[in-house]
Amino acid sequence: MTATDQERDLETLDIHVNVGPQHPATHGVFRMVLTVSGEKVVGVVPHIGYMHRGAEKLSETMDYRQGIIYQDRTEYLAQFNAEHCYCLAIEKLGGIEVPERAEYIRVILAELNRITSHYMFVGAFATDIGVYGTAFTYAFREREYIQEIFEAVSGDRMMYGYFRPGGVVWDVTQDFKDRVRWVCKQTRVGIDDLDRLLTTNEIFLTRCRDIGAISLEDAVDYGLSGPMLRACGLPHDLRRVEPYSIYDRFDFDIPTGTNGDVYDRYLVRMEEMRQSVRIVEQAIEQMPDGPIMPEKAPRRLRLPPGEVYMRTENPRGEYGIYLVSKGGEKPYRLKIRSSCLSNLTALRQMVVGQYVADAVVILGSVDIVLGEVDR
Amino acid sequence: MTSPHEGPQEAPIVPPPPGTIADTFREVLPDVEFTATQGTGDVILIIGRADVPRVLQLAKDDPRLDLKYLRCLLGIDHMEAGIEVVYQLYSFTHKHGVTIKTRLPADDLHVASAAPVWKGADWLERETAEMFGIVFDGHPNPVPLLLPEDMTDHHPLRKDNPFAQVEEWQGSRLGPEAAKLGHIPAGYESIAGESGEESSE
Repeated sequence: MTATDQERDLETLDIHVNVGPQHPATHGVFRMVLTVSGEKVVGVVPHIGYMHRGAEKLSETMDYRQGIIYQDRTEYLAQFNAEHCYCLAIEKLGGIEVPERAEYIRVILAELNRITSHYMFVGAFATDIGVYGTAFTYAFREREYIQEIFEAVSGDRMMYGYFRPGGVVWDVTQDFKDRVRWVCKQTRVGIDDLDRLLTTNEIFLTRCRDIGAISLEDAVDYGLSGPMLRACGLPHDLRRVEPYSIYDRFDFDIPTGTNGDVYDRYLVRMEEMRQSVRIVEQAIEQMPDGPIMPEKAPRRLRLPPGEVYMRTENPRGEYGIYLVSKGGEKPYRLKIRSSCLSNLTALRQMVVGQYVADAVVILGSVDIVLGEVDR
Repeated sequence: MTSPHEGPQEAPIVPPPPGTIADTFREVLPDVEFTATQGTGDVILIIGRADVPRVLQLAKDDPRLDLKYLRCLLGIDHMEAGIEVVYQLYSFTHKHGVTIKTRLPADDLHVASAAPVWKGADWLERETAEMFGIVFDGHPNPVPLLLPEDMTDHHPLRKDNPFAQVEEWQGSRLGPEAAKLGHIPAGYESIAGESGEESSE
């Protein structure tokens, strides 16, 4: 056998591996075509849009209050945060004053929603890694305690539609404060449980550390935000940098990572949950009594012509609403800046050069919500 | 307050107060003409289409601006008045942000791509391109992002592409009339033309 024959025998063919759109590791209807050479990924082509429902176009046909429901359906794991951003955009453009009590209710619910969203991440991410079921069950047990509060407050388990431009639709239940105090205590225990289960687990560490690392320069260039950006070491949190609502009244830390790898993203999210508990604990003590909507809320909301880009720090990063009004009671244009879409643009950078098995872990660490990616 | 029966109104141009990022832009780009206006929150700079590549590149590279972070990129359809492309930028070092806008005439929707400047602009421009029919010159991979690849004749977010009437889509009256109003993918015309059974779904 000549040398060339031998080389030809050993030559490997690049294989295309189709992942999704119906695949448990894609967290929804996401599809990516991995090109693999042996066990290494040499190329990836993501395909999105399976869940595109035209939320931006639909919002243009609805008046400002009706548009709230599309925020729930867009960001279906952190609905309160998305509603918050949408309402803040309208309030900023319309100069609407929000009563104190409503501000506190909104912040408490938005922070609790951040915890439930991160619980979802930890559970699903651990399943991606191979801790099949165990972490998911514990995370969902804890998540359920908070979910019960949401259900009591809004009447829904998923599509809350509870915030309104100017306040909230009705007041919280009478036992709200007690329940939130209890759930804060319970959440601290729950996070510690998951911490003990995963954070120092040998297998978990091996699967996470130094996987899918991205440098800070690349992260900024790709427009990453939220825990993905903070894991690279930049303490950029809109709640601190551009305080909106009443976030300047609370004392909380901004966790950051150092390597920007999958493990750092996990650690940042775990610490963020603890910080959210801190914010909720402070807010529940400060929460005043009073009205929940401005006294002279107009029956039909009309905004003056103008435009605003409102951005909030959502569990997955910077969620933005670019709202253009030309007068009247409907938005002229409403753009949703999706944190997941921007985080997903860096997928190729993170996945190429890694093992196939790690591609699933890296995708899990992005914590995508396809409703928000596709809108 | 405006009446709902009045036509669309434009926001007035309000010059931003001195000392904002608009002055820094004037310093960095003395030969570029732009209109600055104080929006709700951020300062808005309206630049000419030909200046887009230079302004964006310098906005990122110049240390006085240092706008390394492209937050958002979108289009706004103003019908006969053309389509606006909006870049929302932010600087982590100076903690300042700015909105840059440029207007494309309705009959010539070409603008230089920002993808060579920010890697993150790639997908955002693909989405804006398919939704408005804008051509981003110099884009490395100009294929649709969210919409089907064969859907090149409709640009959903344009104002001349309205929704079909709700009852036409929900009821049995899907047909050639509905096809004129909304998009029916190639090969589905016959299904859309049928009537009757599907109305119960």
